[in-house]
Amino acid sequence: MNKNKILNDINLSAKPYVIYKTSNGFDLFTDFSKKIILSNNNVTNFLETISSNKKKIKKTDLYIGFFGYELLNHLIGIKFPKQKTNFFPKGIFYKPETLISLSENLSFKAQTTDKKNKQFKININRKNYTKIFNKFKRKIKQGETYQIKICTKYKNKSKIDPLDFFCRLSKSNLAPEAFLIKDKNYSVISCSPETLIEKKGRSIITKPIAGTLKKNTSLNKSKALQYFRKNIKETKEHNMIVDMERNDLSRICIPGSVKIKKEKTIEEYKDLFHYVSLIKGKLNKKVKTIDIVKSMMPGGSVIGCPKISTLNLLNNQEKENRNIYTGSFGYIKFNGDMRFNIIIRSILNFKNISEISVASGVVIDSNANHEFNENFIKAKALIDLFK
Amino acid sequence: MIYVIDHKDSFTHNVVHQLSLFDEVRCTNYYEINNQYLKRASTIVLSPGPGSPKDYPITSNIYKNYKGRKRIIGICLGFQQILYCEGAKIVQQKQIYHGFQSKIKVVSKNSIFKNKNIYKVGRYHSLKLKEPFYSKNFDITMRCDISGSAMALENNIDKIYGFQFHPESFLTVNGNLLIKKILSA
Repeated sequence: MNKNKILNDINLSAKPYVIYKTSNGFDLFTDFSKKIILSNNNVTNFLETISSNKKKIKKTDLYIGFFGYELLNHLIGIKFPKQKTNFFPKGIFYKPETLISLSENLSFKAQTTDKKNKQFKININRKNYTKIFNKFKRKIKQGETYQIKICTKYKNKSKIDPLDFFCRLSKSNLAPEAFLIKDKNYSVISCSPETLIEKKGRSIITKPIAGTLKKNTSLNKSKALQYFRKNIKETKEHNMIVDMERNDLSRICIPGSVKIKKEKTIEEYKDLFHYVSLIKGKLNKKVKTIDIVKSMMPGGSVIGCPKISTLNLLNNQEKENRNIYTGSFGYIKFNGDMRFNIIIRSILNFKNISEISVASGVVIDSNANHEFNENFIKAKALIDLFK
Repeated sequence: MIYVIDHKDSFTHNVVHQLSLFDEVRCTNYYEINNQYLKRASTIVLSPGPGSPKDYPITSNIYKNYKGRKRIIGICLGFQQILYCEGAKIVQQKQIYHGFQSKIKVVSKNSIFKNKNIYKVGRYHSLKLKEPFYSKNFDITMRCDISGSAMALENNIDKIYGFQFHPESFLTVNGNLLIKKILSA
């Protein structure tokens, strides 16, 4: 049967499903036999019981889903002041019974297009952003943080066809960690570029991105590399993230096994260049799934550094729940292998409200206006899908 | 055994891994100081971390208790903590270094490192030692080659050593050798 017809049929059937980018196409997971809604109370138990050390497993012997930002903070003992929330679940995982591999070219035509979507509204305007920015810059001067990412959120009322959005997004930006979740009352559409964890056996890698450059006709890969090498601010930001990710891996890996496999290389995508490093380690024998999650999440490159004090500064500042943003999506197999990304460049549609969160970093030599605009550019790529 | 006190930093475990190349290492959080480890350790390491020395009074007490009795090593914040306990002022610097690789120089004949040697190191600090600084048996033995800021301290009588830079950073060339030297001094 035609694979794209399968996609159409599943979408029409109203069955929940998940699509996740693989190295040469997409995997579609569906026919969920279990759906686990995570909370602060059950997350530890979920992580402790998930892998059974079975040697032989089926392709669908896994849980796929996401941990929201707040849940990941809870896991490492970080408390939140009261925040505005829309009561979206803190995490959801599914046990699929069917897995279908799809090609890279997803084709799907939306049945109806809804043009009544409202304008997006931002939760922090330029003036307030600048205030927060200057406050954090003072904190950097005092040594309380070295790098911190301010999150802004765009929201609108909208009815969307998630598969249509996802296919269009994948055409314009085929990101290595792209995914789609479609369930009855919510959907997530993401073109995340960043791999946080890839664990096979006792080998683990993380691939932090710090530095993004928009493509233009005069730029090629080697010119992009030159740009980053010469740019002291970008270099410092990236260095910091590399040392932080080495640290997070060192918590769970054998001493001496944590190595930088690719140092500050360029990855090329349709519209942009990313400045990427790849760090690898060999896990300690005693390390469990929950230890890996707690060491690596929330992913450092989207938070800032050092992680704990920076998270505390952020959480005391932010008035609104981040939901999925800067959480992690991926799967844990029953044999303990796993793959997780960092949820950025994503749309969460819950009860017909779409939200898009973006963040950019404050370091000692960044500029408030520039970063505010940068945030808007990041959001715009997703907002444009609503046209 | 080496006992590392972690000041909630995102680089501490790089320090732990580096030290593990030379000895057994234990590490706990600043809020969960382990007295057994403290007693058993031959070396106490004060980790890097956010904020300034005055934010960590427990570490100051540990330093004062064990000074002269055990080898003490401070890195970044830990370096500042040693100086702070020795009466120094730790102040904000004009130029801030986070994720920065720079050249530093050995500036003392009394150093266990060869005088005038130059090292390439990774730096993550907003604060620095206010000079002049004097404390009995303490020498500032390395300085930034450009600004002259204090980058290392040595007290070879009491076996106290500190680096303002990060020997565990991938930005530091030959960081393992620097650590090996102060562990065997």
